[in-house]
Amino acid sequence: MNFFTLSIKNLLRRRGRTILTVLGVAIAVAVLFSLLSFNSGYEKQLSGELDRLGIHILAVPKGCPYEAASLIIHGGVIPKYLSNADAERAKNIEGIDIASPMLLHQFFKDGTPHIVYGVNMADMAQLKPWWKVDGRFFSDDEDKVMVIGSSLAEKEKLKAGDTLPFGPDKMPFTIVGVLEQTGTQDDEFHFLPLSVAQQTFGKSDQITTIAIRVKDVSQITEISKQLESIPDVQVVTITQVMGTIMNLVGSARTLLISVIVVAIIISAVGIINTLLMSVNERTREFGMMKAIGASGMDIGKLVLIETMLITVVGGILGLLLSISGSSLIEGFVKGIIPYAPDGRLMTPEPGLIGICLAFSIGIGLVCGILPAIKSSRLTPMEAIRSNLE
Amino acid sequence: MKKEDVIVAKELTKTYHRGSEEIHALKDVSFSIKKGDFVAIVGPSGSGKTTLLNLLGCLDSPTHGSLRLNGVETTGLKEKALVKLRRDNIGFVFQQFFLLPTLTVRENIELPLLFTRRNGYGNNSHEILEMVELEARAEHLPNQLSGGEMQRVAIGRALINRPKIILADEPTGNLDSATAHKIMELFQGLNKQGLTLIIVTHNIELAKMAWKTIHLRDGEIV
Repeated sequence: MNFFTLSIKNLLRRRGRTILTVLGVAIAVAVLFSLLSFNSGYEKQLSGELDRLGIHILAVPKGCPYEAASLIIHGGVIPKYLSNADAERAKNIEGIDIASPMLLHQFFKDGTPHIVYGVNMADMAQLKPWWKVDGRFFSDDEDKVMVIGSSLAEKEKLKAGDTLPFGPDKMPFTIVGVLEQTGTQDDEFHFLPLSVAQQTFGKSDQITTIAIRVKDVSQITEISKQLESIPDVQVVTITQVMGTIMNLVGSARTLLISVIVVAIIISAVGIINTLLMSVNERTREFGMMKAIGASGMDIGKLVLIETMLITVVGGILGLLLSISGSSLIEGFVKGIIPYAPDGRLMTPEPGLIGICLAFSIGIGLVCGILPAIKSSRLTPMEAIRSNLE
Repeated sequence: MKKEDVIVAKELTKTYHRGSEEIHALKDVSFSIKKGDFVAIVGPSGSGKTTLLNLLGCLDSPTHGSLRLNGVETTGLKEKALVKLRRDNIGFVFQQFFLLPTLTVRENIELPLLFTRRNGYGNNSHEILEMVELEARAEHLPNQLSGGEMQRVAIGRALINRPKIILADEPTGNLDSATAHKIMELFQGLNKQGLTLIIVTHNIELAKMAWKTIHLRDGEIV
């Protein structure tokens, strides 16, 4: 027998109470892990998603630039346009690597919105080099051709080589390629050569945005200024977009953090209460132990080991709970925050698991220290005094 | 051969304060106990028996007076030194047994080793189990034992560190008279092996089984 086995036996003596306390810790740790994991996954995925846009700056028509940029990322359509000439002017600015004009158009089919992107495929190949296609990409001088995203192909049961009646005039378009899954909004879109899109939707010379990649990211501010000298153009950098989205979800995150802090405080108070109660109940027992040779340190150690056992087991249980239920939790949180990037947000990162385990050990130390000191300071007399005549 | 004194108490006084009231639990009590003595401390309720036992066991310190235990002056010693003194010299037996319900008989007997093993005490639990006649019950839990058996476990626990003195506070208080008698016989047997025994009891019949009796009344020896 050692202190560890004695502690386990003591905890098992009050099985119900021990289980409830462990559950309290488990819930606090599960909530903490879920939040940290979601938070880190969210920022990573969002920044990854923006990175995968392959774009540093969006030039949009003057109006409401952040909203416009967000809309463009998600395939929304804004009723204001730039012209091909604006794109040409942008291309001539020093330091710009690619300035690719794009036209976005939205139409409804059976009540479902569909997004069409008119693009220069040669530019896209540079902006999104990870794009892979089943079939082939179109060249910019082809007519009545399109490439579609993988989710769209799946939903509409389309494949490369199919012909699709498309546009207001239901002209037959050939699907020359289907994009392999990208995990971004691109999976939902129709991509057409820019001139074909402009012609099909009666928007000749109109573009919605200019997607710009710069040669040197440190030049973004300087280049943005030059872009804004083009009349009707407003500039949104991708970091601004990320900031806007993070602000949007900020209040939801604050709410989540408050819930977690409250959960942790409740759990900590519960643990301290349980331990103090247990120490009080066992005053005589501790007195007996001191009488048979235990020092104050021995008693304190025993109480601290019991606390640590509760919190560490609770911590591990909490981690298992939140990792195994992460898809449920993720679905729930995604439902209450205004925007969430695609892809898996909660992943069991070793660093976060370490933080949560350290947190449960910390809770154990904080909660155990008071009862441990209290029990170690008991004089044997105090404990056995209740037997006095 | 003259026996050495294991306990020498001089003018032991203990005063408690309960609010503004002063309670004189012991008043100038002086006596000595020799190695191998079997002493019963008797007296009515409130006479100061348990207070005296707690002072002798270094569980409490006197308000005034001195107490030498095995040649060591205990008054003024720090808690750490008192713990060591208790560990090396004294075994305690309580009226309520204080057995840990989740530990077996053997584990309860071995409990003090958890606190003393690092100081070189060997595990002699088999020998102790034999001595208190509980070998067959070694792996039983306390709730499977009778009152007498539980007290024998507590006595075994007090013996495991090979103490020089056993202090027992009403060890038969929770037992029927036949069982109490058996426990006293066990004490007599231990005493014959050279152990010094000091027992607090209010049962005069049982006290007669000891060699010496200290009568207390109102905190004084009478």
